[in-house]
Parts: sequence; structure tokens; C-alpha cells
Amino acid sequence: MESRFPNKILPYLLVMPSLLVVLVFLIVPSIQSFYLSLFRVSPFGNVLIFKGLQNFIHLFQDPAYLNSLIRSFFFTGFIVVVGLSISLGLAVLANLPLAGVDIYRTALIWPFALSPAVAGTIWALLVDPSTGPITYFVQLATGLRLNWMTNGDLALLIVTVAATWKMLGYNVIFFLAGLQNVPKELLEAAHMDGAGSFRRFWNVTFPLLSPTTFFLFIMNSLYGFFEVFGLIDVMTKGGPGKATDLLVYKLYEDGFVNFRTGYASAQSIVLFVFVAILTILQFRFAGKKVFYR
Amino acid sequence: MKSGKFTGALRGVLVLALAAVLFAPALAHAVTKITFWHAMSGKRLPAVERIVNGFNEAHPDIQVEAQFMGSYKEVLAKTIAAVKAGNPPHLAQVYEVGLQTMLDSGVIVPVHTLFEEGEVDFGDVVGPILDYYSVDGKLYSMPFNSSTAILYYNKDLFKKAGLDPNRPPTTYKELEEMGKKLVESGVVPNAFSTGWPSWVFEQAHAYHNQFFANNENGRKGRATEVLFNGPFGVKYLETMSRMAKEKVYIYGGREYSPNKAFLAQQIAMLIQSTSSVGSIEAATEGKFEVGTTFLPRFEGYPRGNSVIGGATLWVLKGHSDEEYKAVKEFLKWIIRPEVTAQWHKDTGYFPATNSSLKLLMDEGWFSNHPNHLTAFLQVLSGVKTPMSQGVRLGNFVEIRNIVQTALENCFAGKTDPKTALDEAAQEANRVLKEYSELYK
Repeated sequence: MESRFPNKILPYLLVMPSLLVVLVFLIVPSIQSFYLSLFRVSPFGNVLIFKGLQNFIHLFQDPAYLNSLIRSFFFTGFIVVVGLSISLGLAVLANLPLAGVDIYRTALIWPFALSPAVAGTIWALLVDPSTGPITYFVQLATGLRLNWMTNGDLALLIVTVAATWKMLGYNVIFFLAGLQNVPKELLEAAHMDGAGSFRRFWNVTFPLLSPTTFFLFIMNSLYGFFEVFGLIDVMTKGGPGKATDLLVYKLYEDGFVNFRTGYASAQSIVLFVFVAILTILQFRFAGKKVFYR
Repeated sequence: MKSGKFTGALRGVLVLALAAVLFAPALAHAVTKITFWHAMSGKRLPAVERIVNGFNEAHPDIQVEAQFMGSYKEVLAKTIAAVKAGNPPHLAQVYEVGLQTMLDSGVIVPVHTLFEEGEVDFGDVVGPILDYYSVDGKLYSMPFNSSTAILYYNKDLFKKAGLDPNRPPTTYKELEEMGKKLVESGVVPNAFSTGWPSWVFEQAHAYHNQFFANNENGRKGRATEVLFNGPFGVKYLETMSRMAKEKVYIYGGREYSPNKAFLAQQIAMLIQSTSSVGSIEAATEGKFEVGTTFLPRFEGYPRGNSVIGGATLWVLKGHSDEEYKAVKEFLKWIIRPEVTAQWHKDTGYFPATNSSLKLLMDEGWFSNHPNHLTAFLQVLSGVKTPMSQGVRLGNFVEIRNIVQTALENCFAGKTDPKTALDEAAQEANRVLKEYSELYK
């Protein structure tokens, strides 16, 4: 090290820009949030009343927050489990030597290229209670009239499916890259040993894909918890009732619509701690099972 | 020679450039810049620009910059952020539920303090609008886009169901009967929906002369308790829930989303803001005939008035006298009869002054556009009572959302009307309590 950096200040100078960014955009706001979470704050921020930890206590007694927590877990769980399974299936199909496979691959990536607003609008139009084509065909097939504007569980399911669909492209790209890196000789050797296509996939390909799967597992969890605001805002605005009021959306509503700054700050701190724990757990336990070649 | 000419030309350019650099700030200084943040999207955006451009042309020394900042809630959030950063706009358009928040904010200049006695005839402002934004008879924010809810109906579908297209329902009982007929005759799967459901619930209270919150809807003193879970609120929600079970009513989502069903002829009646008149008429032209009428009533309740919605312009603190003078000019401009009348034609919002109303009448505007008149007649024919002047609540935004949730849970069949409203009231009272703690 010493030989590479004869000047002792230079290395610090070089990391300074990124440290500054982290400091200004991450650390200072975090400290501010923590400070504000101890107060009740007026909308314009000119009246502050010290409340200690009351915001946090209130948070875990608030049925609306607990509801939001449970629904966020369902939402993220669905995205991770169902979304990754489907993506892997599609990636395997897109990896087959088919005619016109490039077209399929491109089409699979499209959903990811859409902005949340566009994706949300498309889904909202598809399942509109009175004019949506999906609603129409479901009614033709089953006689049931879907109304996600009143049926909260249905609304959550639709938003979850939309969010999963939106992430498919991203997952497929990574799985496809992973699949193409699986050495042909290993698969051929397994084939020679008499392994069927399922065993070849399960005992050779899948373990070799584990770094990709693990990476996508983390990315999808973060997506489920943090990046779904746009979709929810366009499709349901957290309704009906509080059925799609996921953690990030509730935080936004309390912070920037209802102007309960202190309460929203407390939520952001909880969310922060929560995701930190989740990430550590993932690296501790899931990380061990990953097979790096 | 050639090079000499060139140098001469260059010198000339340089001198001009220098002059421009030296004098530009002085020129720019003579123009007072006014920032105006608003939430008018779609067809309303060019209508705002029309007003602002007209003003700027007539006032070379003032430059009003109208900036679209997103939805109402985003405008308010951004205004708050700008105030905290010490850089507020001069004018911000804030929706009616933000009234109490703005009054308590300590960052506004009440409109009445800007003007000398008699400088502007506020008596010209249409009564219900003036009342809504006045405290102790003094106007706090400038009326701009005001609306109320009316009933839209599809005349063609009425005919198909064997109903008289010129006799829309006047009571909820009639609405229910006609709705049943529309559904049973197979003309539509459901008959009726409401836009802004929580707001329509507030409307129903004022229209039947019922208080929504104590202390005269928060106008006599700060409201500490909501009253919407009383007998009237429960009756309203029970009626709507019953109609939902009979398939007469269908919950169509928040804000403007049920308009889609009405335009697609999936429902035949819609309670919606009058600000949709323009877009509904444009979208249905040549497809079916739209009628509009007053809101339906419950029999046996006293008459009140439908209440004002929409937004007003708030003047913010922290600017120079020069700039406030310019703001004043702009506010005078927007209530000019011809400007207000044009704004109404472009959008469907109320012409906020009586003189603009006269102008529109004289032009024959209403005889060609009778649906533009409905909301106006409704508001003017109502009774002025403490119940119908508008509700003033701390953090009304959140309370409106709480009511919204209660309505949705009820229509989903999760809770019965009484329980849903009782729970919502409890939540709302908590919001009021927390809010009043801030401003003791």
C-alpha cells in the first residue's frame, strides 16, 4: 500500500467524493430523521413538541402499521418466490435453441424497460372493473365480476402480480447470463452418466446458478420493500381500505400527504433497521449455501 | 483594409455585448418576477397559461411565472419544503382540505390585508365561495378554481330503460327505483357511481344541513370531534351499501376514476365534480346525450347547500413590498369578469364572481351549454347555514383519507356502516387531538 501511495493524504482525497455523497445524502438525512422521530412536528415544521419514543411505541400499536407490515411481507415474498421461479423457467426456455429465440428474449426483457407509471396504467386498464378486458374474460369464463376497487385482497394480488411481472425482465436477463455460463462439458458429462434433463438441471445447472439466484434474491427483496411506490401510487393509492398500503407507501402518505413528519420519520428508521437486519441475515445464512465456482 | 473592417465590426459587436452585459441586469430588475405554483394538469394547464400570458402582456413590468408542480398534495408538500428552505413561491394553489393547515401555518399573508379598504369589491365573489375561505368575514385566500358535486346522467340509457330522459331522480328513493329499473332491464350492469366518494359524503352532510364536526364544523372554534358517525352519516352509508348489494351502486374508485365507467356506458348516473363537465361533454359528443341535475336528496331532512371544493390561491410571506404589489395586480386580474368567464368556459369550474356570471349570461353561453349552469344554480339556490359553509378541520387531508378507507371497507362488505363510521370517527378524533396539541 505504502509504495502505491507515497502521499498519505492522497488516498483520503481520492475517496473523499464518494464519502461526501454518502455523508450528504445518507448519513445527514438519517440523523435528521432520527432526530425528528422523537418529536411531533407541525406541517410547516415551525412547531416541535418533544415526544421521546412515543412515535415508535404508537407505531407498533397502530393496527394500520401492522397491517401494512404483514401485507409488505406477503408482497415481497410473492415477488421473490413466485417471480424468481417463473423467471428461471422463462430463462431456461429462452436458452433453448429455438427458431426466433432472439425475438422471445427481447420480448421478455420489455416489462423491465417500462416505467412504473406506464406499467401501472396498463395493468389498471386491463383489470378495470367496468371496462377492463381481463375483467370481461374472467366474467365470460366464470361468471364472476372482479372489482378490485372494492375487493382489497384482489387489489393486493393484482398489484403484486403487476410488480412481479415488472421485475421479470430484469430477472430473466441475469438468469439467462447465468445459464449461458454453465459449462457445456459438465452437462455433457452428466448426460453421459445417464442423468435425465430434470436431474441435469437440478444437480448441475441450479447449483451453478446459485450466485445469480442469491443476487436476484437480494435485489428482488429490496425492490419489494423499497421500489414499488410508483406502481402503487398509479394503481391503487394504497386502497381500497388499506389493502395495498405497503410500508413505503404508508411512509409517503404519513410524511408528505398527512404531514405527520415525526411519525413518518419513525417509520423510516424502523424500515432502515429492518432492511439492515434482513441484508445481514441473507449474507450470513443464504450466503453460506451459495456455490461460487 | 479587409482586416480593418473586420476589426471594426468586431469592435462594434464587442461594444454591444458589453452594453448588453452592463444594462441587462438593470432591465431585468425593472421587471418584477412572481412565482405561482399550481396543480392544473390536462385541459386546465393551457387555461392557466392563457390567464398568465394575458396578464404578462398587459403588464410589461411584471412577469408571472406559472409552474405546474404536480397534484394538489404535491403542490402543498413542495410549498412546505420551499418555505422550510426559505425560498417560498409568491402564490401557491392549495386545495380546500388544506384550509386549516394554511390558516395555522404562520407563513401566509391573508388576502384581505393586501388590499386597501374598497380596492377590490369582494362582495362580487359568489357567496358560498366567499364564505368558505373567510374567517370572521375576512377573506384569507383568493378564490380561483371552485367546484361542487352534481349528478350526471345518460339520457340515452334512460330512454332504453323506459325512463323519462328529462326526469332524472331528485331523491335517493327515486334514484334507487330508477337504478333498479336500469339494472333489471339489462341496460347496464350497475346504475350509479360516485367520484371523490369521501368528498361526496361531506357534500351530503352540508346538503342536508348536518354538521360534519363539532364547533360548527370547526368554524366557531377548533373542531375537537367529528360528527359524521351520527344518524345522518349512518343513514347515508346504509343507503349506499344497500344499493351496492342491489347492484344499483358500484364503487368505482377514488377521484375521477368512475368517469371511465360512465363514459363507457357501464353506468347511467354519476355524482362527480362540476369540473368534469367539460371533459365529459367532449368525450361523449356524438355518442350519447348527457344530462346534469342537482344532487339527490333524502326526504325529511332540512335543506342546506352543496359545499365548495377545488382550490384557492394563497399568498406566502417572505417577499418584498414591490413583489406584493405585483401579486396584488395579478389577483385583481384573475377576478376580472372576462378572465373569470374564460376560465369557466375552459374548465367548467365556477365563474367565481357575479359580474363574470352576468357576462356569461349576456353572451348566451349557458343557453348553449346548459350543463355548465347546473352546479351554479345548485349552489346559489341552497340555504346559507353554518352547516353548509364548509368544514374546517386540522389535517383534513388525513381525515378525508380515513373516511375514504371506512367507505371502502364498508362497500367491500368487511364492516357494517355503523361500525365502519364509528371506527373512522375514533381515528379522526385522534388526528384532531394531535393537531390541536401543536397549536395550543
